Amino acid sequence: MAPALIWLILILCLLISVIKYTLALILKWSVPGAKIKKDYTYQPTVSVLMPCYNEGKTVYETIESISQSDYPNDRFEVIAQDDCSADDSYLWMLKAQREFTNIKVRVERNNENSGKARTVCNALQQSTGEIIISIDSDCIFHPDAIRELTACFSEPKIGSVGGRVGIRNPNASTITAIQTFVYYAAFQLYKVPENWTRSVGCISGCLFAIRRELLLQIEPRIRSRHWFGIPVNQGEDRFLTHQTLLHGYGTYVNNDALCWTTAPATLNELFKQQLRWRRSVIRDLFFTLRTLPQHVWKLHPNTVVTLVLTPLAPLVALLVLFTALSSDPMAWAGPAPLLMYLGIAAALGLAIKKYSVRETVNHPLAFGGYVAWSLVSSLFITTLALCTMDSRDWGTRGKKREASHADSSSQ
Amino acid sequence: MPTAAVSKVESKKTVQIQPMIYRSVVTLYRIIGIATLYLVLAGILSYAFVMGFYAVNTSWAAPVILAPSDDKSLDFMQKIVTSKQTLEDLKVDEKRLESSISEMIGHRTSLLNLEPELQDAIVRERTHNRAAGPQLSQLDQQKQADNLKTQTIMAQVKQVESSIDRDLAAGLITKGDAATQRAALNQAQTSYTDSKINEVLLTDNILEKNTTDTKSLDVLNKQAELKSEIAQLDIAINVAQEQVREESQQIDRLRKAIATAKQTPYELITSGGKPVYFAFVPYDNQGSVAAGAAVYDCYLNMVACRKVGTVKQTFAGEEHAIHPIFRTDVRGFLVQMELDRPESAKSKTVFLNRKPFFF
Repeated sequence: MAPALIWLILILCLLISVIKYTLALILKWSVPGAKIKKDYTYQPTVSVLMPCYNEGKTVYETIESISQSDYPNDRFEVIAQDDCSADDSYLWMLKAQREFTNIKVRVERNNENSGKARTVCNALQQSTGEIIISIDSDCIFHPDAIRELTACFSEPKIGSVGGRVGIRNPNASTITAIQTFVYYAAFQLYKVPENWTRSVGCISGCLFAIRRELLLQIEPRIRSRHWFGIPVNQGEDRFLTHQTLLHGYGTYVNNDALCWTTAPATLNELFKQQLRWRRSVIRDLFFTLRTLPQHVWKLHPNTVVTLVLTPLAPLVALLVLFTALSSDPMAWAGPAPLLMYLGIAAALGLAIKKYSVRETVNHPLAFGGYVAWSLVSSLFITTLALCTMDSRDWGTRGKKREASHADSSSQ
Repeated sequence: MPTAAVSKVESKKTVQIQPMIYRSVVTLYRIIGIATLYLVLAGILSYAFVMGFYAVNTSWAAPVILAPSDDKSLDFMQKIVTSKQTLEDLKVDEKRLESSISEMIGHRTSLLNLEPELQDAIVRERTHNRAAGPQLSQLDQQKQADNLKTQTIMAQVKQVESSIDRDLAAGLITKGDAATQRAALNQAQTSYTDSKINEVLLTDNILEKNTTDTKSLDVLNKQAELKSEIAQLDIAINVAQEQVREESQQIDRLRKAIATAKQTPYELITSGGKPVYFAFVPYDNQGSVAAGAAVYDCYLNMVACRKVGTVKQTFAGEEHAIHPIFRTDVRGFLVQMELDRPESAKSKTVFLNRKPFFF
């Protein structure tokens, strides 16, 4: 009975995925109305919040790219908030503040290491913009990014807008190549049907724009998030998106607002990043299930489906994988999954090469890596995430550096 | 106590209790989480070890419980019954054919015996005709000459008849004499007519003797029919004998097939009696199998093994089975085990000839 139920849910998830991706292609090419109406004359004041922890010189490059934005310089400010980095990030921020005088850059520092979510909230306290854009400090932004994001807020019911995140280093390793495929598919396909109903389930924290008044309403909730008393400092982007929807606003990803992030280049880093994300997904699922009636009555059905099925998929995939391996231990060795994944990866590779040359993946072996990663992702990460929901470890930031920071703070 | 004060105390209590509850929940969660992770880790390592072990081990066999109600057993029984029925039918048919051949051979012999007699009769008749023909022709010529003479005489007789009438009218003779004379003349006329008839009959008889008439043709036809019937009998006998040979061979083959089938495990289970135990051995593990080899049953399918019986016999027929661990299709054969511990027949795997880890 149980395996049959699992298979049923899996088939449902697959069916919805197939429908979703098919719908994405139809909407992308045939329904211009699925896209938001952008008004470039709408130019609200913008505060770009850049929380930072141990990013080194990258923060300088990030601020540099923002300084080149095609947006009236007097209409936006950058607030760089250092979360007590153990390296020279803070010095790089100050350097950027000194050198990029064409824009207003404020550099602040937390009193103690607080995690990204609270650092964003601290930066919010310093900001004045009508639109708040939260960015990652390891990203490079397209000059049009701010203009593209703000243009979407001309629709009054839009609460949050995200940009498309590309990979800065697609050919650094097989690991980064794999992520290039994943990111591209997520933004160019998976989120398109969600865009249609203005109900994107998760806007990436790399480039996240939100109305100030909305963020101020949500801020206390961000600060008070906890897991049985343990403060939660991860997954603030998913939480913010979710809260935007629950507050009755729409969410949207504008794929013309571009930024490029530095993807983890080693398996270890990728595993930790994915583990952190998977915890956020599971936490979000628990939240959704806990407040399901509120979701069902208040939100668009597509939003509910997205919020329930998207996080449910890795859990089901895990159960399916366990069931498959226990009934047929050599199932993974069959050619069907390999061919399917290779086919998907090849199609994505060609699409990236044609439509996003900057992210072209050179190494064909990355296709094989994509297959292997899918198995690892389904089997291990979900299990580990389920068992370490209490972890506050960011993962991609080294313990040594955190320890050295603690030492320096105490001194 | 005022309401405000009560709610303040309750709130204070909640503030004190909630962290304790959280701590307990988190502690419990961590214990369960760590246990789960270790279980998962153990599961993954076990999975990898079991996969590796069964990939290299060459002494395992998978016990198979066969029952008379299994599809294969039922199929086997059905085939045996059908084969036996076919065998019986073939035997009956063979006997029928043999009787038929015997009958045909007897009939043929009779016909063969009849043929020379017929041939002799024809020869005899022809010989007789050849001799009698010329004699009759000569006699016919004499007869013709005699009749010519008689014809001349008969012309004179007519004159005599006229003279009788004249003599009677003249009163030279009495009426009685005249009647007597006339009767004699009539007698002579009749004799002449008979003689002419005999001449014609003789000519006809000569024709029969000297030429092939329809009677002879009938006889020849009968002779041809006789030969044809003999030839047809020869063919029928040959066909029947060939059929008997083929059926005989088929009977032999069926007997061998039934004998072979009786040496399969399915015969053992369908014939009833005491329970019999089997194990599937993949071809890769063939080297470990011999009659009398020890059978070991192990905990967790690989350790702490104990001897539970021996291999009684091996069966030659190829069998297909699902690999007990890999779940892939495997080719191999069955062996019969004599088990001291019948419950080992329900184990996932047993090991033949040696323990996998020497313990």
